[in-house]
Amino acid sequence: MKRLALGGILLSALLLAAAYGLAFLPEVAPRLAPSLLALGTAGALAGTLVLAAQRDGRLGILWVPVVFIVLVVGGGMVALILLPPVDPADPTLVLGLPPGAALLMYGVGLLPTLVVPVAYALTFDRLTLSSEDLERVREAGRRRRSEAEATGSGSPPGGGGVETGGPEGSGGPP
Amino acid sequence: MISRVMPLLQSVEMPGADLPGMARTEIVLIGIAYFVVVAAIGAWATRRTRNAQDFYVAGHGIGLFALTLAAMSATLSGFAFIGGPGLVFSVGLGAMLIILPASITNALGAWVLAKRLRLLREVREEVMTIPDAIGMRFRSPAAQGLSGLAILIAVIGYMATNVLALGVVIDALFGIGLGWGVWLGTAVVVGYSVAGGILAGIYADVFQGTLMAVASVLVFLFVLDAGGGLSGISTTILQNDPGFMSPWGHLTPLAAISFFFVFGYGSLGQPHVVHKFYMLRDPARLKWYPLLVTAALILATLLYFGVGVAVKALVTSGEMSPLSNPDEATPRFLLEYTPRILAGIVFSSVAAAIMSTVNSFLNIGAAAVTHDLPVAFGRRLRDELFAGRIATLVISLAAAVTAQFSGQLVAFLGIFGWGLFASTLVPALALGLNWTGATREGAVASIGTGLVLTLALETLSFFGVWSFPAGVTASAVTLVLSILVFLAVSAATRGGPGSEIDEDIRLIMEV
Repeated sequence: MKRLALGGILLSALLLAAAYGLAFLPEVAPRLAPSLLALGTAGALAGTLVLAAQRDGRLGILWVPVVFIVLVVGGGMVALILLPPVDPADPTLVLGLPPGAALLMYGVGLLPTLVVPVAYALTFDRLTLSSEDLERVREAGRRRRSEAEATGSGSPPGGGGVETGGPEGSGGPP
Repeated sequence: MISRVMPLLQSVEMPGADLPGMARTEIVLIGIAYFVVVAAIGAWATRRTRNAQDFYVAGHGIGLFALTLAAMSATLSGFAFIGGPGLVFSVGLGAMLIILPASITNALGAWVLAKRLRLLREVREEVMTIPDAIGMRFRSPAAQGLSGLAILIAVIGYMATNVLALGVVIDALFGIGLGWGVWLGTAVVVGYSVAGGILAGIYADVFQGTLMAVASVLVFLFVLDAGGGLSGISTTILQNDPGFMSPWGHLTPLAAISFFFVFGYGSLGQPHVVHKFYMLRDPARLKWYPLLVTAALILATLLYFGVGVAVKALVTSGEMSPLSNPDEATPRFLLEYTPRILAGIVFSSVAAAIMSTVNSFLNIGAAAVTHDLPVAFGRRLRDELFAGRIATLVISLAAAVTAQFSGQLVAFLGIFGWGLFASTLVPALALGLNWTGATREGAVASIGTGLVLTLALETLSFFGVWSFPAGVTASAVTLVLSILVFLAVSAATRGGPGSEIDEDIRLIMEV
């Protein structure tokens, strides 16, 4: 799952780079560059969500917000790119806005509020941070502090961005 | 059109220096009352600030409600109330792509950063800054120092523009002149920032954030009334300027979607917002954070959208005389279409928005000077609280003096703040905290790439030497490049000593 997420982020970054590269050739494919940008943006957001939200290679029900982001941001924006220009003679309004503007404001803008943060809240205890997770982390913190006290360094190992190994630094805590 | 957009973006943090005067008795009294409340909060917080942990991370003791409003207030500067509506008025709905990503990115930020940063605090009680997190993740003082340097450069730019904006707003509010406005605003924000640190800032933000959201909702109701509802506004504009109501407005699709990318994905690298995750008392309370902060942001940005389109409709229909500059949209609407009391509350909210952002910048800037850079050089300061207060004062004075010499320099400094944060911090922080395969070399290379390229390309663009076509900002391109550099260098150096991760850090990356 992590490989998939990283692959998605890499592919998205390449799509974004291609979109910005095509900006220098606006006459070649005027709709291609913004479409790549929209897909790259959606892919980067979704890929990063997968990278962060997966646990032990599993995403669970959180595939719903991931797919939703790809569809609404990527699909929604590509649809907007393909829409014909606003016709001032057409009186059609959707909730007070022309159709394209309504898709942008209510679809891409507001609709995710009803899905993504809600998915986060509803799955938080089970898929994001359970009380067992929290206790494991707190136990690790207690262990680390007691080790520091035992060594009498007053500064736990690896703290404060201190180099603890590798070629860059001095090889140990201060 | 592109040439029209860039000056407008420069005013993102710097409302035009010629806002119409708002000095009316009711407005002045509300403004004074606002400053008295902020001063009282500062005095209260000062008594509770006893050490560097209190000063920089509010003693790690704030609740969900305070976190929500503090994050919202730090996210929104005066741009949401002055520059933003002006941008909508000028370029149409394309300007909405700056704020629309919020419906996704707050939850994304909670998954990607909030849990990791807050859990980092459980295992490393000494953690105070975002560069701390980068340094601990990669066991690298170099990465911590470089990210601290990037933050300091961006903060200097943001501070000068925000202090100038504050001077403009205070001058419009009290009619005391721009110079005195800058110094009065600086004095108030320095007063509570130096004495009470982020603790004062957080509780001032609770007050200020509430004020912003309430004022924005009330103004939106007056917008609907003045324009004949959203349908009336749309119909009026469509008859005269249909392009304005297209999804991208008068921007190119590429420029508009670039906004969505930079302000959406780039939100994962805004240290003045994300470092507040350290401050939450109980990590389990993060559950409702994305929903609450997203709802608060939507309410607070109703004014951004509403005033922009309503003033466009009113000017188009001839009901309002033309604006001399787009930043007049909000003050003119307030003076002509809302009660004085509401105008006073909104202008106090503008000052509030700027001051809360300035406080957050001061805090992370002071931390970069007194904590991150000394740690990078292996010379941690003995009294970080005292040093932090001095640094806060010095940065404020430097920003106020710079703001006095306003114009090109301040506009230039203000352009690249958000982009510099994004291009230097997003890969190492957001990806780095979630990918155990990332390496120290990748982090240092991506931060360096973001820092050098953003400064170079924005400088070339600002001085008219060279800029990207189709209205694309350099920050968008450098963000993409720094991500690619991070992935490529990490892949190339995987398995080396720069891949090592401390066990406790690995644990918080895996839960």
